[in-house]
Amino acid sequence: MTGRRVVPWIAAVLFFAGPFQATADEIDTRLQTIAACGLGGQGSAAAKQAARALSDAGIEVLPRLLEAMDTDNILAANWYRTVFEKVTRQELKKTSPQFPVQLLRDYVRDTGHQGRSRRLVLGLLDRLDAEFRESFIATQIADAEFRNDAIAALLKQGDEFHEAGKTDEAAQAYEMAFRAARESGLIQTTAAKLKAIGREVSIIEHMGLVIDWHVLGPFDAPGKSGFDTSFPPEETVDLQATYPGQSGREISWKRFRTTDKLGSVNLVTAIAPVEEAVGYAYTEIFSPRDQDVQLRCGADDNLSVWVNGEKVFARRQWLNGTRLDRFTAPVHLKSGKNSVLVKICQGPQHKNPAVGNNWSMQLRFCDKDGASAGTRSALPVESEANAEK
Amino acid sequence: MFVKSAILGCLLSTVLVGSATAENWPGWRGPDRNGVSTESELPTEWSETVGIRWKTAVPGSGISNPIVWDDRVIVTASDGVQQADLHVICYAADDGRELWHQRLWGTAPTRYHANKSSMASPAAVTDGHHVFAFFGTGDVFCTDMEGQLQWQRSLANEYGQFENRFAASSSPLLHQDTVIVQCDHYGDSYVIALDQETGANRWKHDRPEAWLSWASPQLIPVGNGQSELIVSGSHKVDAFDPVTGEQLWTVTGMSRECIPTPVFGDGSLYVVSGPKSPTMAIRPGGRGDVTETHVRWRNTRGAPFVPSAILVGNRYYLVDDAGIATCLNTADGKRVWQKRLSGAFTASPIAGDQKVYFTNERGETTVIAATQRGYKRLALNSVGEPVFASPAISQGCIYMRTNRHLICIDGRSDDDQ
Repeated sequence: MTGRRVVPWIAAVLFFAGPFQATADEIDTRLQTIAACGLGGQGSAAAKQAARALSDAGIEVLPRLLEAMDTDNILAANWYRTVFEKVTRQELKKTSPQFPVQLLRDYVRDTGHQGRSRRLVLGLLDRLDAEFRESFIATQIADAEFRNDAIAALLKQGDEFHEAGKTDEAAQAYEMAFRAARESGLIQTTAAKLKAIGREVSIIEHMGLVIDWHVLGPFDAPGKSGFDTSFPPEETVDLQATYPGQSGREISWKRFRTTDKLGSVNLVTAIAPVEEAVGYAYTEIFSPRDQDVQLRCGADDNLSVWVNGEKVFARRQWLNGTRLDRFTAPVHLKSGKNSVLVKICQGPQHKNPAVGNNWSMQLRFCDKDGASAGTRSALPVESEANAEK
Repeated sequence: MFVKSAILGCLLSTVLVGSATAENWPGWRGPDRNGVSTESELPTEWSETVGIRWKTAVPGSGISNPIVWDDRVIVTASDGVQQADLHVICYAADDGRELWHQRLWGTAPTRYHANKSSMASPAAVTDGHHVFAFFGTGDVFCTDMEGQLQWQRSLANEYGQFENRFAASSSPLLHQDTVIVQCDHYGDSYVIALDQETGANRWKHDRPEAWLSWASPQLIPVGNGQSELIVSGSHKVDAFDPVTGEQLWTVTGMSRECIPTPVFGDGSLYVVSGPKSPTMAIRPGGRGDVTETHVRWRNTRGAPFVPSAILVGNRYYLVDDAGIATCLNTADGKRVWQKRLSGAFTASPIAGDQKVYFTNERGETTVIAATQRGYKRLALNSVGEPVFASPAISQGCIYMRTNRHLICIDGRSDDDQ
């Protein structure tokens, strides 16, 4: 919470708590009781009693309740929400409801609060201050909770400009929306709108997807042994080396740049349509700075990832599928060149031959909101001939 | 005044109930989870304006079927960012007014189908004392009959977020004092039994071999008051001891991704998982893989991907997603008739009063006579709105959830009222 907003909060708490000091202590105790509920249904009975008592206390619980709602404990948050719903409903029924409207506006504006709670309070404000939402949303393009609402407003604005033949204004609105967009669906929608008015943007760069690789395989890995079997690239990556591969074939690294719009690497194309095998993908990327980022990845059947020689992610599960951002792991990138090695296992063909035996991977580096970490390929510039056809 | 109201209430209840055969529809596909009601005098004809007792707007989206207990109809819904805002809503059965509305947050929303699913695809279930609602966000909530939250579990936080491309749709069932939930998804799949009173685990059976499925579990009687828990998915049907979670027997041959819920009747379990896998009649019992010994018959035609099938007497009715309806003889699995119905289908058929109701995605219901021979259409009715949720039957009415409304159909014209 920002400093300038602390004062009205304290004032509100004192206003409500002043005449009811004992009650205020009880309120805190009950909020803490709810905060203690946990896994396996633990604490439910006590939380239920506490929620009921808080609901009976009425609207004066609101300031403390909203502070308590800043929790990652979804169970506690839901108990708090039941109280919120009840006390606000009761207050709304009164002929002269006494809501701390300015405090509620401040709560919604404060990005330090839980997004879901802010959105809940915004819903209440819709009934208390009908003008607030539109003006608030228009300013929230950088707000993780309301970003998509702001983008939707921008896209609507862009569409209106486009329909009115104001292409430059439409492009400005769409580009602002594209820069802010973090979810793949919205990114693609916005990119398509820009393309429709002759403005190209790179989804790959925007999302930090890694598309430029050296690939190697297939190594022989009977059954599902591949995940636990270490092959030479895990010791040393030698892009000039050759190795004995599956079925006695000699295998070597080859350059492969995917043209998939979301950076999926189809290993059936890049390496070969095989079963019970292991493949590797290697690349080098530039990071503009030392930074902690998120590795987001997915693979079919499974993958292990090393960054600068350190294993940062591995998942044994075989019933899999390549889906964008399926897995997330924290990774540190150093300023300059970083190496990335990926091991992708391919299991046996399902006993039903109609079940396709896909083999693919997808990987990107981004911040916690999904914005590109600013990395770019550090592999030598390669010719278009290397790109996937 | 109170006495007058009480008398009026009693009279109204009598009218609503209609006969001594009135029964509740407490969860997915009714009292026996098979879509069949034992009630009589059920509606045959209706339209957007005729035969409708009441119609009320339902917020958000959801394809969970309405559940009915005495004077209450309960639905679940979801809306908001990624459909993570969850709703359990209770309406009065007599006039559709909202009695209570519990709003909650879901832990981890997944992908979902734009029309055919949301985080509120699984039907809630009630024993008349509590309502148990499971959502695609990986959350289980228990409320009392007034909507007061009693306990909640975030299975997604405890055992991993669901990974599902159309959102979980498996509806929980009640067995003795537990609520049982099937959680098959791309990630770590399992079946879990929770204590109805506290929400604590009674048992959890991990299914590392299981892939994504949307089928709901079934409970079948096996004599001496004992039951077996039936779970379909990942190319097989598994039976478990519902008290301990111990795996009992398996029949293979199902699709990898199963949606229809198995039904039981006349000593046999009927399973289907289309579009390409066979419909099978299975004799329950045994241990281990009983595929070779316990499958009574197979039929490879007309299997639906989404709608569950229905068993009425010795006839087994299926409608596939494209509207091809098939009636099989339960004795040998041979086809009795096949007919193309109007429209595409997501909702599962229901039956009662010797009628079978097939409701398509346009909200049109083909009503047929549940006869031994031949296809006999009794009516084709429309509520004029898309329907993806399976209807419910209770107290002489059909409760139909459209994509915007909950509708109580009593089939009476204005002259009958």
